[in-house]
Amino acid sequence: MMKKVILLWLLVFLMLHAEGTSYSLPGKPTMITCRSPEKETFTCWWEPGSDGGLPTTYALYYRKENSEAVLECPDYHTAGENSCFFNKNNTSIWVNYNISVVATNALGRTFSDPVDIDVVYIVMPNPPENVAVAVLGDEGRPFLRVSWEPPHKADTRSGWITLIYELRIKLEEEDEWEIHPAGQQKVFNIFSLRSGGRYLVQVRCKPDHGFWSEWSSTSYAKIPGYFHQERSVWILIIVFSAFIFLIFIWLIHMNSHNLKHFILPPVPGPKIKGFDEQLLKNGKSEDIFSSLVVSDFPPTTMSNYEDLLVEYLDVYIPEEHELMLEKNKDSRDNCLKSERSTSDCDSGHGSCDSHTLLMDKCGGTKEDRWQTHQPDSQMEIDAKRQDEALTYAHEDVISPDMSSGRVKTWPSVFSPLPQYSLKPLDQPSSLEMAKQHCLSDTLFPPCSLSSCQTQPSHSTKDGLGSNYWKFNFSNKQLHQLHPNTEPQQQLQAHSDINICSASANPQQHNQRSSEYVEVQRVNEQDMVLLHPVSSGHGKRCPEMNLAENYSKVKVMGNDNVLLQLQREMTEKEVAMCTYQQDQQTSEPETITTTPQKPAACIHSALPVLDERAASGYVDTTTMFTLPTY
Amino acid sequence: MYGSLDVPRCSNVDATAHKSPVATFFPHCIPFSSNLSDLTLFPAPVVYMVAMCRAIPIGNLLDRASQHSDKLHSLSTMLSTMLAQDTDASYPTLSRMKMCHTSSLQTPNDKQQTLQVSEPELMSLARSLLQAWTDPLLVLSSSVNGLSHPAQSSISNQLQQMQEHSRTLEDGLNILSGRMGSPAQAIFSLPYRGGTDLGHDKITKLINFNFLLSCLRRDTHKIDSFLKVLRCRADKRQPELC
Repeated sequence: MMKKVILLWLLVFLMLHAEGTSYSLPGKPTMITCRSPEKETFTCWWEPGSDGGLPTTYALYYRKENSEAVLECPDYHTAGENSCFFNKNNTSIWVNYNISVVATNALGRTFSDPVDIDVVYIVMPNPPENVAVAVLGDEGRPFLRVSWEPPHKADTRSGWITLIYELRIKLEEEDEWEIHPAGQQKVFNIFSLRSGGRYLVQVRCKPDHGFWSEWSSTSYAKIPGYFHQERSVWILIIVFSAFIFLIFIWLIHMNSHNLKHFILPPVPGPKIKGFDEQLLKNGKSEDIFSSLVVSDFPPTTMSNYEDLLVEYLDVYIPEEHELMLEKNKDSRDNCLKSERSTSDCDSGHGSCDSHTLLMDKCGGTKEDRWQTHQPDSQMEIDAKRQDEALTYAHEDVISPDMSSGRVKTWPSVFSPLPQYSLKPLDQPSSLEMAKQHCLSDTLFPPCSLSSCQTQPSHSTKDGLGSNYWKFNFSNKQLHQLHPNTEPQQQLQAHSDINICSASANPQQHNQRSSEYVEVQRVNEQDMVLLHPVSSGHGKRCPEMNLAENYSKVKVMGNDNVLLQLQREMTEKEVAMCTYQQDQQTSEPETITTTPQKPAACIHSALPVLDERAASGYVDTTTMFTLPTY
Repeated sequence: MYGSLDVPRCSNVDATAHKSPVATFFPHCIPFSSNLSDLTLFPAPVVYMVAMCRAIPIGNLLDRASQHSDKLHSLSTMLSTMLAQDTDASYPTLSRMKMCHTSSLQTPNDKQQTLQVSEPELMSLARSLLQAWTDPLLVLSSSVNGLSHPAQSSISNQLQQMQEHSRTLEDGLNILSGRMGSPAQAIFSLPYRGGTDLGHDKITKLINFNFLLSCLRRDTHKIDSFLKVLRCRADKRQPELC
């Protein structure tokens, strides 16, 4: 026996020396934790320290309160390694246990720190069991119902343990859990779920005075994808609204033109024939005006100068009176109906004998003179024209006596001369253009209808007037119109006058009868009273009742002096005038008709303000003095 | 064992001893007269009160009682942990031999024993334990001021709360015991003999204070456990509670 012991010690000694390691006492066991799952049993675990290089054994000793006996752990294996399990028989509650662990190796033993526990304070139940997750609810509103059971060891039926539950849920792709305390109930409903999502659910429990259990194993739930009923309604509404919207857009598109006119009525803008707005925008003023300037104006050659020889109309103008030529509206209309044909009226030839102021001489070829006069007039116009608002200043002179197109007063807007500057070829087109841009014929609607023999295609005599006006406008002195009275009104009056007078139909110039009136006297209103002198052509001569005659202004003096151009009247015209005159009935409006030999259509000399002279047409409503020739 | 639960008696209420105990614990038992002192003078309200008390199922009463006891135990646990913190725990714990003044009361030590105890006995045990701590709580409250502890104010506050809860619970258990039969009426006397002074020096005071608190914690846990066992046994209509 002794030999065995000696051999053993020798062996140990040899082992020690052979390996060269140092052996020591075992390390102190630490971290003794005890837990009871159901308040009936409990288990203690410890953490062994270093073993000191030698095989170490551990022993747990405990001592109950009020007892001196130190007992050893009854069960080292049930709970695993480094553990001690106390079964029901060895477990007392409301009793303090003093537990310590001893590590023993060949060199000695090491005691751990003692731990005082009371079983009722170390209760940590098992996780809840049979966690079931069910998807309930109708199509649009599903919800989860989670149900579970307490751990089978915990006796909650008798009330020995009271458990409080808690569950957590999250989507599969999320990171954070959503925790829901559930109290003592074993069923829980979860709402507001995402359709088509996959959820993870876990449950845990805790005794009323104890520790939380571990989380139960994960339960999965898949929410079926459902269609929100609300969404379907919204989709219907959106589709319907889009449909209506499209229809609305289509309707607007179809009626865009009408709508545009309804909302934004087009404002007629002035348009001057030959006036290119684009050029104006481009800023090349020379190009702009070059198109308006007739190349042959001022006439460089005086070839047609003999056309300009006219009898001058002696007009006596009282100083205090303006020389106002009462125009025979008809004749004027006739004159203006066709630009070319009204050359007679423009001639201003005062073939009508009288002491009247105006001597008209309806002569000259209609068109030729018209055209020929144009350059002259043009020249005159350019020469004299500074303020082309002459005519426009007299708009107020328009008398209300207008009836049947007769102009009692001197339409101030009348300035037919500018039109003459237009190229002959352009005249019809200009008339067309003028017609297009004519202003409303509100002033002289009857005039336009009755007195004018305009063809329907050129019914708008406004064009003519507006042409005149526009020409004036464009004749390098656009701005000068503005200081004067409103050109619009002037234009209107002008155009209105011209309605009666203008004839957009170049064809009519053949029929044009130059109505010649003779200036009889000048009344108080500075009106030159004229009487038709001669009758023009057949058709147009009835219109000679209108006291519109034009005398062509030849030269304008500086002080609004009118020089009338007189044209020779062709024989034809003379005859016509005579004829007309015979036919017509004098109407003592402001015209006294005297059977006279056909006088040249008196072209009323329009007083041109500021020396502006219309080509052959002068508004005599303004003050001016006419030198007598 | 559970036959005499619904004894229709609320006669054990001592209305004069406490401030409106019935009203605090069981609002349904409040007589129409708010002045409880009238109860002794006029027996009619007592009869009315008896009738009112009978109307409440005992399960609800026990539920409310267990809630109070739960709160009581939580407070005592908090007190113990509060005292254990912030102080160097190097002071020696009390000798094992010293026992709580309530240790003479024979209480069950495990589940089987507990479940074998009858309900009136459980109620009696609970009431006895509860009553045993009325005086020590007062001692503790008075001793807090002299206790050199950083959490002194909160400890004092919690002691106050514990006193209130203890008082309320006591009254409620009195009413409950009236409905549980005569064995429930027995209260074991467990006087506290520690005196009003916990110790002469700070260390002694702390040690004694700690010891008292540990005893209090255990006893409140016992009370809570007993009442919860009673709760689950009394009312079978609410299985979710148990």
